[in-house]
Amino acid sequence: MAARRLARKPPPQATDERLLVEAARADLSKFDALYELHFARLYLFIVGRVHNRATAEDLTSEVFHRALANLSTYEWRGTSFAAWLYRIASNAIADQYKRANRERSGNADTLGSPTRANIYSKKTESVDRGAFLFRLVEKLPEIQRQVVCERFIEERSIKEIAQRLSKTEGAVKQLQFRALQTLREQMGERHD
Amino acid sequence: MTKRPPAEQLDLAISTLLAHPQRLPAPRTNPNVAKLLTLVGPLRELPHPEFKVRLKTDLRRRISMNQAASSARTAKLVKFRRENFPNIAPYFLVNNAPKFINFLVGAFSGAERVRVPRADGSIMHAEVAIGNSVIELGDANEQYPQRTMTTHLYVTDADATYANALAAGATPVYAPTDEHPSGDHWGETKDPCGNTWYIATRRSRVAGPEGFLTVQPYLHLRDAHTMIPFIEAAFGAHTTGLHKSPDGKVLHATIEIAGATIEIDEARGEVQPTQSYLHIYVPDTDVVYAQAVASGAKGDKPPYTAPYGDRAATITDPFGNTWFLATYLGPEPNSPPLR
Repeated sequence: MAARRLARKPPPQATDERLLVEAARADLSKFDALYELHFARLYLFIVGRVHNRATAEDLTSEVFHRALANLSTYEWRGTSFAAWLYRIASNAIADQYKRANRERSGNADTLGSPTRANIYSKKTESVDRGAFLFRLVEKLPEIQRQVVCERFIEERSIKEIAQRLSKTEGAVKQLQFRALQTLREQMGERHD
Repeated sequence: MTKRPPAEQLDLAISTLLAHPQRLPAPRTNPNVAKLLTLVGPLRELPHPEFKVRLKTDLRRRISMNQAASSARTAKLVKFRRENFPNIAPYFLVNNAPKFINFLVGAFSGAERVRVPRADGSIMHAEVAIGNSVIELGDANEQYPQRTMTTHLYVTDADATYANALAAGATPVYAPTDEHPSGDHWGETKDPCGNTWYIATRRSRVAGPEGFLTVQPYLHLRDAHTMIPFIEAAFGAHTTGLHKSPDGKVLHATIEIAGATIEIDEARGEVQPTQSYLHIYVPDTDVVYAQAVASGAKGDKPPYTAPYGDRAATITDPFGNTWFLATYLGPEPNSPPLR
């Protein structure tokens, strides 16, 4: 049976995002909505530049904490909230490169470290595609979602996953197959 | 040879890809399986859902701690501020204060709440409530001559307020427009005493629980960027919004002092530097006075306990603005002037 195609949500209008930002500025407990909207994009922006899961998690955490601490200084004057987050992330990534270089060679300015501008200007199409995929994975039936996370994010073998989920290996392979079929269909042809 | 079912074929190819991410699928891979394999790379890069939950929990914890600290701070703030003085009040010293009161009432639906006349009929001190805020005024004298100041008013209908201001004798500068760079519906007039009034209706904000203050003093300064470190050191202020030009000039900044705000920007072109009189409630007048003087302000009047129940002092900042500092000491009889 063909999986039902989920309606692709348009990106939030700037005005909506602006309202979310202002709501969070007035009441920080509303920061959750901004977090949900930007978490995957920000993580993918970072992991696409540092190519290491642990470092990407540390930096994502750092950027959200910085954004929360400085939310009152953000002003909506031609710069979207996402662009503001990416700038903070670019700075954090550049600092991370410097720290890593310093640890390796004792010199923070080793040639080859990308500049903040270079980091920021890298294309972000794959970020949007990845963020969309992340949302689709979150909407998979729970057992399929677990299989996808264990297989691709944790990189466990089918045998390990079968043991953890108390399923046969054949059943896990079927779940994996169905999950990828669903995701593929929902991603649509646009992302070929 | 038995053909493998698609789920088996897919898993075999996935195992290979996970072990050797750069390797291309075998040429004879089933096309449907090959399509599914394009997801392997993007899926491997996705964030871990547990990380997402963990970080969200961390952020919530931090927010909750901030809010607790903020509540404690607010409880403390309320004690030093008179209930009906929520804003940093511009203190207008004008020639012909009674006429100016009439203007405030007509133009901005002001409500006169205190008037203390002198024997000669001039006004020593008066207060006019506008919206949720207050403006103070009196007749200018030798010690405190008239100054032209700029005030930002946030109103529910800028067009109506602008029209009322003109009807009350203001001079038009420009009618409220949506084209203002702030994003607000914003117009400008000058009153008969030459003071500038920015009249705006917020378009870009969602009101907080207390709502926005109607009145905010607006200071045009030469080298406005140097005001920020001064005001932070002197008043313990913090800048809640700062927009700078590429050459470092302050295009606009909002600065919070003890729970109320002023706005500043760089004086340029036709907008010349202004010097204002400002009445501000602070948690401890003595401390702020000492900090301000240490930061470069001139101490005009050291801290003293005023008969109306405030601890008061006066300073002039390095830009020539006069600040009447006050800390409310507790319930007192109904007596006015702060000067």
